[in-house]
This record gives sequence, structure tokens and C-alpha cells, in this order.
Amino acid sequence: MDMFGRILMVEDDPHDVELTLTALGEYNLANEVVVAGDGEEALDYLYCRGKFQGRTSENPAVLLLDLKLPKVDGLEVLQQIKADEKLRMIPVVVLTSSREERDMVASYKLGVNAYVVKPVDFHEFVNAIKELGVFWAVINEPPPGSVRKR
Amino acid sequence: MAEQKPAAPKATPAILRYGLALASVALGTVAAFLLDNYHFRGVEYPLFLFAIAMTVWYAGVGPGILAVVLSSISFNYFFTDPRFSFYVSRADIPYYLIFILFALLLTWFSAVRRRVEQQLIESRDTLQREIVERTQQASLLNLTHDTIFVRDMNDIITYWNRGAAELYGWTEDQAVGKHSHQLLQTDFPLPIDEVREELLRTGRWEGELRKTKADGSRVFVASRWSLRQDEEGHPMAILETNNDISDRKHREEEIRKLNQELEKRTADLEASNKELEAFAYSVSHDLRAPLRHMVGFTELLQKNVSSMLDEKSLRYMKTILESAKRMGALIDDLLAFSRIARAETRQQPVSLGELVKEVLPDLQRETEGRAIAWNIGALPDTFGDRPMLRLVLVNLIANAVKFTRTRTRAEIEIGSLKKNDAVVVFVRDNGVGFDMKYAHKLFGVFQRLHQSGTFEGTGIGLATVQRIIHRHGGSVWAEGLVDGGATFFFSLPSHRR
Repeated sequence: MDMFGRILMVEDDPHDVELTLTALGEYNLANEVVVAGDGEEALDYLYCRGKFQGRTSENPAVLLLDLKLPKVDGLEVLQQIKADEKLRMIPVVVLTSSREERDMVASYKLGVNAYVVKPVDFHEFVNAIKELGVFWAVINEPPPGSVRKR
Repeated sequence: MAEQKPAAPKATPAILRYGLALASVALGTVAAFLLDNYHFRGVEYPLFLFAIAMTVWYAGVGPGILAVVLSSISFNYFFTDPRFSFYVSRADIPYYLIFILFALLLTWFSAVRRRVEQQLIESRDTLQREIVERTQQASLLNLTHDTIFVRDMNDIITYWNRGAAELYGWTEDQAVGKHSHQLLQTDFPLPIDEVREELLRTGRWEGELRKTKADGSRVFVASRWSLRQDEEGHPMAILETNNDISDRKHREEEIRKLNQELEKRTADLEASNKELEAFAYSVSHDLRAPLRHMVGFTELLQKNVSSMLDEKSLRYMKTILESAKRMGALIDDLLAFSRIARAETRQQPVSLGELVKEVLPDLQRETEGRAIAWNIGALPDTFGDRPMLRLVLVNLIANAVKFTRTRTRAEIEIGSLKKNDAVVVFVRDNGVGFDMKYAHKLFGVFQRLHQSGTFEGTGIGLATVQRIIHRHGGSVWAEGLVDGGATFFFSLPSHRR
């Protein structure tokens, strides 16, 4: 696992991770991705603690966040990030299976930057991921203190 | 009612009363003469006093004075020497004076006695009247249906009315003299000392008590106590009024039980609603992910190996993809359908005409390149949940568009009619229609009357329509003919719910 990257992906389902990485691979963005398997690991990464203790302290350029996660769920991660002075500027994209309105409302209330429902159709899914990756990791100018393009 | 008052002397005419004075003195004189004739000496004196006393007694003071005067004259004229003359010797003057004084004294005594006796009679009559009145009042207490009884400060029953006998089943003879709380096995909701304390302090007490009848059955009564005090304020007796409130208590108990049941059911319903919500949430998250993986990895497989596969294998792969996508669509529709059941319906004014105009552009993808004759009539304004009613129109119009696809020229009519207290909106088409035999199946979830190959769809659209309209208090129905078009109706109550 890379200790360093522009995209932090928080996703517990290895199949989703693989599909996402495949999609990003088409734009050579796959090696920019750091994967956290649950909310706790994501927070460990952001706070450079636990197994991420040694990493450089820059923030990722974007965080792709699933909502249904083991241990600490996506909404809690989002809440902690947006409550933290150092982390709140990181763009957060919720990437989830659910179309539930209450999730959407809760996410926007917590200050999420984008909310994307993973399409069942693979082509649509690939397109969505590619666009997300390209926009947030390449086109968008990340806030100061973020990882820069290598 | 009261006895006639005995005639007072004053009530008899004056002439009779003074006549009595005259007559009694005359009678006294005659009697004295007769006795004198038989040589009984010294009797005239008491005889005249007797006559005066009689007069005073029966005729009053005035005639009494007259009798004194007449007696003195008669005594002087007839019985003192010299007889038959009014001459009064000096030696006789004290004798006369004593007679007159004695007579006046007698008159005065008689008058006083008479007055006292009169007063006694009067107070006796008053007393009698009072007794009669009291007795009547007591019998009035017996007339009431209320339960009234009186007990002394030791709770021994002293009065027991008919209402008490009827309620508790003890007769007056059985109850009077018994200890009230023991006889009725009174259950107090609070310590009896507190009850007594309040009664002595305020003079009254009110509360609900449980008592026992003669037959052993329990009865709830609303009980009111009043304290009777003597003139110095010492408590004398307690008057207790009871009203049977057993029926009310039973009803209250029933209502309480029903409420409890209702609360339990509401809680159950809320719990199952929550479960349903959790279920839908889980479906929405967890069921779509494996489908996405099926589609994704099949696509990747297809990309990698399609050049090596024969046509049959490629078709298999295509079928897997289509089925997975169809399942995705089904899940999405089902979730949307269950969301309608869970969502609150808002009541707001909705113009159905505007809503139709808004819906039509949404269907552009389906109507493009088709010859459709739209015939849209006037549509009423109504009350309802705008997004939900929009969904109803989208579903019905999309259906009409879909099932007229085989027509070279489609005709779709949207209109309304008034029926009793409701507005009815219909969407009519000249499409493939349906067999009325299956009309009851139209609005069921996942019910389809056409084969998937002919017309696509998940079979949830009309179920959604029905659920929304039902939630608005309306109804849905349809008319159709195989190959002769179909008309879908929905009604909405015209008044605000």
C-alpha cells in the first residue's frame, strides 16, 4: 500500500476498490490512491498515527468516502474532518451505493463537497470515477498543505 | 297544617268581655244574697274575689278592673252596714281599700299568669309546627335517589335514608347503630386520619371511596362529607352523601385499558416501521453493491476475452449483464415505492393542469419521433403532495406513451370529470389496451400484463400510482379493451383533508 498519494479512498469492499482502481488506472491515477479499509484507518492516515505514523504530513488532494464502513462510519469520519481546523479544507466526495435521502441530507449538512451514487452500470461507474479522479486530483487546485502532483 | 291558634281573650268582642264582668259580679251578688239569706256570714268577700278572678281569667285586665269597680259598689251597697246605701263610714275605709288592693293584686296575678300560659301555648304550637316540618324534611331526604346517611363522631350511623338502603342493601333498622366504616368496609384512598383532619379543619371532605354492599359486591362512590357543629363549634355529626360511580369507573378503566393497548400497538407499529426503514436502507446499500460487481467484472471479462469467445458465449455474457442491470432497476423501483409509504404527504394547493405541462417535457426521450395527438382538457386545482402527484401523472402518461408505441398515430387524452364529492382525472390512450379480466392485477406490485419482450418495465409504476392516490384518500381504477386502448382514472377528495 502506498503511504503517500493524492487520493485517499475509504472503502471496505475489495471489489469496489478493485473496480475503482481499474477505472482510475485508465488515467494513470491508480498509483495516486491510498486505500483505507474503514473509518478508523482513514482517520489514522489523516492524523499520521498508527501504521501511518511515519508518513509526511500533507493532506490528500481529495478524499473518496464510502458511507457504510466498519468501526467508524463515513458520516462520523466526515464530521471529524469538517470539525478539525487542519483537515476541514480537504475536499470530500461521498461515494456510496445508497440513494437514501437522509444520507444525502446528513452529508451536505456536514459540509461534504460532492455526493455521488455509484451506478450499477459499469460504464457509467467507470465514467463517474474517472471524472471524479480527474477533476479533484488533476483539474482542481487543492488547498494549501495538500500533496502536489509528482 | 298547623293547628288553629286557640282564641285569645282579645279576639272576643269587647261587649261580651265587659258583659262577662257585669254578669259575674251580678252572679256573685245573687249568690251572696242567697247565702246571706241562709245566714252564712262573711261569704260575699271571697265570692266577689272569685267573680273578679273569673273575669280577669277569661276576659282580660279591662273587664277585670270593671269587675273590681262593680264588686266594690255592690259590696258597699248590699253587704256593708248601713245596708242598701252608698254611705261609707270612716271606719270601713281601710276595709274597702284592702278589698280593692287585694282585687287589683288578684287581677294583676291573673293577667300575668294568663300571659305566661298564652306564651307557653304559643311556643308549644311553634314546637309542634317545627316537628311537623322536620319530619317532612326528613321524609323528603327519603325521596331522593341519592344515598344520604348521618353518623356521629364515633362513626355510628344515626340516620339512613332510602337511597342508602337501595344502594347498599342494608335496611334502616340494620344500619342505624352500626359502625359506618365497618358495615360498609370502606376503602380510603388515603389515611383516614388525613380525611378526618381535613373534615375537622374545613368542615367538609370529598373523595372517591370503595365500599361493600350487603351482598358482598364492591361499589365505587363519589363521597361528600359535611360536618355538623353545635353552637359552640363542637363537631356533632357527619352527613355523608354517596353517588354510585361504579359505571363511570368501569368505563374509565376500559378506556385506560384501550389506551394502553393503543399505545402498545402504536409502539409496535413504530417499531415495525423502523425495521422496514432499516431494511430498505440495508437493501439500498448492500444489495446494489454485489450487482455492481457482477456488472463491473463481467464487463472487464468481456473486454479481456471477447475476441476468444464464440457468439453463444458472448450472448450468455450479455444476458448476465442485462439481468444484473434489470435487477438494479427493480431494486431502485422497489426502494422508491417503499419510500412513498414512509414519506409524509404534505397538503398543499396543486394545479394539476400546470403539473401536466411540467411533466410532458420529461417524456421527450420516449415521445421523440412519434406521432402523438395530445388532447389535454381543463384540469382542476386540488390539494395534495405536489411531488407525489407529479409522480402519478408521470407514470400514467409514460404508460400511455409506452403502450401506444405500436400505433402509427397515437392519441392520448388527459381530462377530468366531477363525481360526487371528488375530482376524477383520467388518461386515455388508443394503445394495446388490456383484458378487463385482469384489471384487478393492474395495480399490484411487480404485476405485468405484457411480456417483457414486448414492453419493458418493472411493474411498479401503477402500484406506485395506487399507493400515492390511496395516501391522498382517493381511488384508482382502469377500463380497457384488448387492442382497443385503455383509460386510467384516479379520484381525489375535492375538499382538503
